[in-house]
Amino acid sequence: MNMLEIQNLHVAVGGKEILKGINLSVPAGEVHAVMGPNGSGKSTLSYALAGREGYEITEGRILYQGADLTALAPEERADKGVFLAMQYPVEIPGVTTLNFLKTALNAQRRARGAPELDAMKVMRLVREKAATLKIPEDMLKRALNVGFSGGEKKRMEILQMAVFEPKLAILDETDSGLDIDALKLVADGVNALRDPSRAMLVITHYQRLLTHIVPDRVHVMVDGRIAKSGGPELALALEEQGYERIVEAAA
Amino acid sequence: MSLRASNLAVVSRDDAAAPFCNDFVANEADLPGAGLDWLSARRKQAMDAFAKAGMPHRRVEAWKYTDIAAALDGALEPATPLHSPLIRKGALADPFVDVPGPRLAFVNGFLAPPAHIPAGIEIADLGALSYRAPDWVAEHLGRAATEASPLGVLSLGLMRGGVAIRVSDKIETPLHLSFLTPDREQALVSHTRVLLILEEGASLTLIESHLGEGAQQTLANIGVEIVLGEGARLDHVRLHAEGNASLHVTTSDVSIAGRAQYRGLFAALGGKLSRLDLAVHLMGDGAEANLRGLTVLAGGAHSDMTTLMDHAVPHTKSRQLFKSVLGGRARAVMQGRVLVREGAMKSDSHQLFKALLLGERAEADAKPELEILADDVVCGHGAAVGQLDTESLFYLRARGIPEAEARTLLMRAFLEDVIEGAARSDIHDALWSRLDAALPAISGEGA
Repeated sequence: MNMLEIQNLHVAVGGKEILKGINLSVPAGEVHAVMGPNGSGKSTLSYALAGREGYEITEGRILYQGADLTALAPEERADKGVFLAMQYPVEIPGVTTLNFLKTALNAQRRARGAPELDAMKVMRLVREKAATLKIPEDMLKRALNVGFSGGEKKRMEILQMAVFEPKLAILDETDSGLDIDALKLVADGVNALRDPSRAMLVITHYQRLLTHIVPDRVHVMVDGRIAKSGGPELALALEEQGYERIVEAAA
Repeated sequence: MSLRASNLAVVSRDDAAAPFCNDFVANEADLPGAGLDWLSARRKQAMDAFAKAGMPHRRVEAWKYTDIAAALDGALEPATPLHSPLIRKGALADPFVDVPGPRLAFVNGFLAPPAHIPAGIEIADLGALSYRAPDWVAEHLGRAATEASPLGVLSLGLMRGGVAIRVSDKIETPLHLSFLTPDREQALVSHTRVLLILEEGASLTLIESHLGEGAQQTLANIGVEIVLGEGARLDHVRLHAEGNASLHVTTSDVSIAGRAQYRGLFAALGGKLSRLDLAVHLMGDGAEANLRGLTVLAGGAHSDMTTLMDHAVPHTKSRQLFKSVLGGRARAVMQGRVLVREGAMKSDSHQLFKALLLGERAEADAKPELEILADDVVCGHGAAVGQLDTESLFYLRARGIPEAEARTLLMRAFLEDVIEGAARSDIHDALWSRLDAALPAISGEGA
């Protein structure tokens, strides 16, 4: 079954059409990459999938586990198992990382009719997942993302993914701003979460992330449309030949 | 009762001021401490100043955002001591119940018989003054009341209750002044004075809370004088959460000697209209003041925090951070004047006002003023008014946190640095539990 099926998706931001008819399917258990030059609409796609206000769907549908998501609020999508690891995670002063994780996890559990977890249980769960991502315990006690380095913020996104255990994870430029060690750490975290019941959409500008997270399919996005799709070798071809030649060949 | 000829000078043509002048003329001889010549003279001088200034209104520059004269509605009876026992529950329940330390309760401005007062603290009931008063009270009481603050001089002229406190030691447990205005059948006014003296090297944590209930209009008019001796240290936390029929003016004057430190945290969470008029005088080398204010209001409430930071001598430091979160039609006024006097070089001052407007008709008025008459000083200031950050809101919602809860979380985040580290952890927790109860209502009004 397709975990995600995007059908003829048109999205406008501020009255300007950015996505011009995206068609894309990701089956459960697969990792797909979306690559594309700056301004091609990659981040718009991720925001539209997560339900950000101001990203108006003018045509088409987003089917998640066979049901249309487009009318749902961001929190309802999260409750159903959609997760977006953001390119620029925000800083929330005054709310400790651990408290944030507890609030969010329990909000999702509440919505799913699962019992809430007490602070001790959340702590144990988070500690265990944090250790594999080499996130020190004192970071969990600090305000969410406040004063964290770029790499720490991205690791925190992956930690959230590990804690929330989504069915569909969208990773928006998770590699941006990471040095090679941080990139490897994040990629290992993502790979550990690959699962037959989970689908992932990895959005990136560069091929280098895809040598660590090897995708099942690669889609090239240009000017709001998928210009070309292929196997992992397409990412390498893009790296060697550049977007222009690949896209020209496709046109 | 005798009516002395001198009283005839206390007349006012100002309608809003006249009842107060008449009260003084009629009752001067029955006010507490009427037998003390020094006090009678200071009261008389105060009432003359009040009569001259009148009740402040919006055409008076310092009061242009807070028209107290227009807010006064009909006759207010002077409050009298309450003889039935007071039940502290509901709106009158003590928010600092988990914080240890002695409590001084004022009901309608009258000091209730105090519990045990620890060694190192002396108190005098200003509502019970007759022919005698401690020398230190006579030396200080009412000295700071000037005609620049008409309500401040009025609280001295018509003072019927209050307390004088002298601290001569480092006191560990907080002292709690609890001002309560219970539900009543009449519209009431109270005029109350607080005098607090910290002697050289003394230290204290002072909690001041103002709670009230009921539908009848009240005016609580309070004058506070704080004198910090050399090297003294005062941590002052004030919570104002009166009911929505209450008018409140506190006129406060803080004098800080060399190496002494004053830290004030002022929270306005209620009332119909309230004003804190706070003058801080840095009077000695190394004197420091750190003021933080937070205003969280819904409905049509109005709060005004007006400060004067007076760098009177060289090598003094001040920090001010005031934040407001406003729903509905609520309004917050933040006025701050920083004065660096001639010769007060190496003064170091910073002031910041910030507001979140969450109600469509909410309003924040920020008026910073710098008056620098010395060279070689560092003075910074800023003001910003905005809304909740949509990026942050989306981030939290995308993690499954419902919108209303996410909004509350962001308001909390906005206020965090005002409260953080400003008080003992138990006081900090008590304030947060009060805020956590107040913030969701504002979120609802803003949506």
